[in-house]
Amino acid sequence: MTERRANGAGRITRLALLTAIALTIFLVEAQLPAVTVIPGIKLGLANIVTVYAMFALGPGDALLVLAGRVFLGAVFSGQMMTLLYSGAGGLLSWCALCLLRRGLSRERIWLASPIAALCHNLGQLLAAAAVMKTWAVMAYLPYLTIAGVIAGLFTGVAAQKLIGRLEKLKK
Amino acid sequence: MRTKVIVFLLAAAVAVSAGALLLRGGQTENPVARITRDGVLLEEIDLGRVAKPYSLALEDESGGNTVLVEPGRIRVTEASCPDQVCVNQGWIDSGAVPIICLPNKLMIEIVGGGGDLDGTAG
Repeated sequence: MTERRANGAGRITRLALLTAIALTIFLVEAQLPAVTVIPGIKLGLANIVTVYAMFALGPGDALLVLAGRVFLGAVFSGQMMTLLYSGAGGLLSWCALCLLRRGLSRERIWLASPIAALCHNLGQLLAAAAVMKTWAVMAYLPYLTIAGVIAGLFTGVAAQKLIGRLEKLKK
Repeated sequence: MRTKVIVFLLAAAVAVSAGALLLRGGQTENPVARITRDGVLLEEIDLGRVAKPYSLALEDESGGNTVLVEPGRIRVTEASCPDQVCVNQGWIDSGAVPIICLPNKLMIEIVGGGGDLDGTAG
């Protein structure tokens, strides 16, 4: 994989830039009206940045960008409760991406995204189940699974294209 | 090949979900709405016996929700939170999906006698 080792200021700048991009995408997407009545169905475009960071930079950098985006996203949207759900979903999908990072060839990175999306939705529902103290929230799981795979394929292809383009840029 | 395993897993997840949604469908025979907050039962309303529409104000220290009850269906009309997810969800009349207000930990689910999965499948 294309591990570009940057240290100190270079690395911080790159992480800050990626976090800012992810946060912007996240907040703009949050302004779009919901497509369905089922809460939680969305494109998850910020996931593109997470997948890019994981495969191009590594797990540590990906986690920092993800954590920064989740925390600042909760702050800027004014709903700290979402920290818990996004945090649980983000952490689970990060774990999945860590495993997939080893197993996927360079041309198949787009496949990681739907898996990450499914794990994100599952983590969110598990957090919701813990908060609500009931498994009834799992009634949403089938809807979120189907939506997650579709949205994940979309963001996955976007991330794949992005990684390809940025490779060319480096030459 | 791992690619094939992943594709298979994704296809299986979608197929199982679609199957679950198709099997679940259908109306609930005797819809009873159970309103709970933080896992504690607040109200139990037999929607089949509601004669005329009325609304319920459910308040606590964390915020409040206004619930509208009509014969056979129920919805949230007002919520104290900024996202209004539960309000936008509109009416529910079967056990397919519960209405959940995460900020106020309020849940409205419909259970019923019709041999339904009681909305707690999964």
